[in-house]
Amino acid sequence: MQIDSTILENLEKLSHLHIDEDKKVEIIAQLSDILSYVENLNELDTDHLDASFSTLQGGTLMRSDEPYCDSAISHDILSNAPQSQDDFFIVPAIIE
Amino acid sequence: MFETVIGLEVHVQLNTKTKLFCSCPTSFAHRQNANTCPTCLALPGALPVVNRQAAIKAMRFGYAINARVNHHSIFDRKSYFYPDSPSAYQITQMHKAIVQGGELFIDLEDGSTKRIGMHQAHLEADAGKNTHDGDISKVDLNRAGTPLLEIVSAPDMRSSDEAVAYLKKLHSIVRYLDISNANMQEGSFRCDVNVSIRPKGQEAFGTRVEIKNINSFKFVAAAIAYEVERQTEAYEDGVYESEVVQETRLFDVNKGVTKSMRGKEEAADYRYFPDPDLRELIVSDEMIEEAKQMPELPDAKVERYIQELGVKRYDALVICSTKELAYFFEEMLTSNASPKNCVTWLTTELLGRLNKASLSIEQSPLSGAKLGELVSKIENNEINGKGAKDILDRLMEEDSSIDALIESMGLRQVNDDGAILAIIDDIIAQNQDKAQEYREGKEKLFGFFVGQVMKISGGSANPAKVNELLKKKLG
Repeated sequence: MQIDSTILENLEKLSHLHIDEDKKVEIIAQLSDILSYVENLNELDTDHLDASFSTLQGGTLMRSDEPYCDSAISHDILSNAPQSQDDFFIVPAIIE
Repeated sequence: MFETVIGLEVHVQLNTKTKLFCSCPTSFAHRQNANTCPTCLALPGALPVVNRQAAIKAMRFGYAINARVNHHSIFDRKSYFYPDSPSAYQITQMHKAIVQGGELFIDLEDGSTKRIGMHQAHLEADAGKNTHDGDISKVDLNRAGTPLLEIVSAPDMRSSDEAVAYLKKLHSIVRYLDISNANMQEGSFRCDVNVSIRPKGQEAFGTRVEIKNINSFKFVAAAIAYEVERQTEAYEDGVYESEVVQETRLFDVNKGVTKSMRGKEEAADYRYFPDPDLRELIVSDEMIEEAKQMPELPDAKVERYIQELGVKRYDALVICSTKELAYFFEEMLTSNASPKNCVTWLTTELLGRLNKASLSIEQSPLSGAKLGELVSKIENNEINGKGAKDILDRLMEEDSSIDALIESMGLRQVNDDGAILAIIDDIIAQNQDKAQEYREGKEKLFGFFVGQVMKISGGSANPAKVNELLKKKLG
């Protein structure tokens, strides 16, 4: 995969980073190096393997559907929140 | 000419007792943030643990729509920044959902059915709620982490009627399965509509617009109608490319228009990746067995009513449209009344009265068993139809036994020939002239005699008998 200025621009946006014009060529070269290093993995033959998302064996744990609630916990958390009022967390106004 | 292409995404709130990843209750809390804990508030170190029951309900839905239930599925993080999500991501299933494919059959006005393909259904956690108040916003996280099943259809619908029929069918199925309360007003059944148009015959889809969070079937139809008109006009005016863009729009209920939700469409990259806090969701054989236990579903019920009970298709569809109505009907049948009469007394007599009183079938003052008993009493000639209607009127107001009402209202049907003949003789004696006219061919007068006999008997004479005996006496 080739990194070009369009991809770099998108990455800047996604990472909330600004990269100076005079640094762009250098950054593109570095990112391309990283990617080509990762491409070494393509030498492995994985055709006969299923895709996996974890190196761990077994599935996630599950619990039974029994409610438990300790109001002292939410009370503690609310009292440690930067701002709370009437048991609401308060944040600066957000416009939908 | 254009063709409309519609796909629907429905968020169904699963009716588990606890949240998807923690043991906090999902029930209504009187106090904001009362149903929260370190996990659903995303405190560092707190780990999510999957609610087994939520997985089973999702699987049950999968089996109900002939879908593939993936024995291995995974949870992903969908990142977004908003105060209703303290973790700054939603746990959902993007790469491999628990339910894939499937189908659902919708019933159309003309009596035909259409197959709607399903794309997938996946588990995800709901967000909290914000209330805006001047220069602050108040955050209540009671709902954060509540299990949702997002059900995504294929783009198989071609009109708003089909979209509404799909939603009604889906609604009915999740209610039958008892996996959700599916209350649109309360937000436990929320739908997003994807709409595009394309010239008839063109294979490629047009640009799709998503309309979010519409809370009634009526508004779904209105939002689609508006959007189709907007897109068609843009096409005809040659401004389709600039006016119709892939975006999220909101339906304005008051103005009946959709509006662009500008600002949000840029958040296209949610940085999905498998949640490292959760391993694969692997379902066990016991879970599969449990998930496959389900009640008879509406399509099967309709067929059974038609085949085994001789109910007309139209009536069967009406009765099976909600599980409450179907179960009421089945309760009526336990009285051994005939299915045909049960249909009439349920759909015409009871539903008519409930409608008038603005009551739903769940709020009916009398049970299915009781209405069934009333119908069987007509069939056993204990009362006649007119008397039964009067009794039903009373039962709408008071909880009495049917037998007591029959006695107190003097409605016990007179089936005894002698008693009816006595009345007939009296009437004919008092109306010699009319009897003569009838015999001379004025047949319309027959109704007059029937009316008189019924009146004198206080409505209790068996009408069939009255007809039969009158014919003999006058003939």
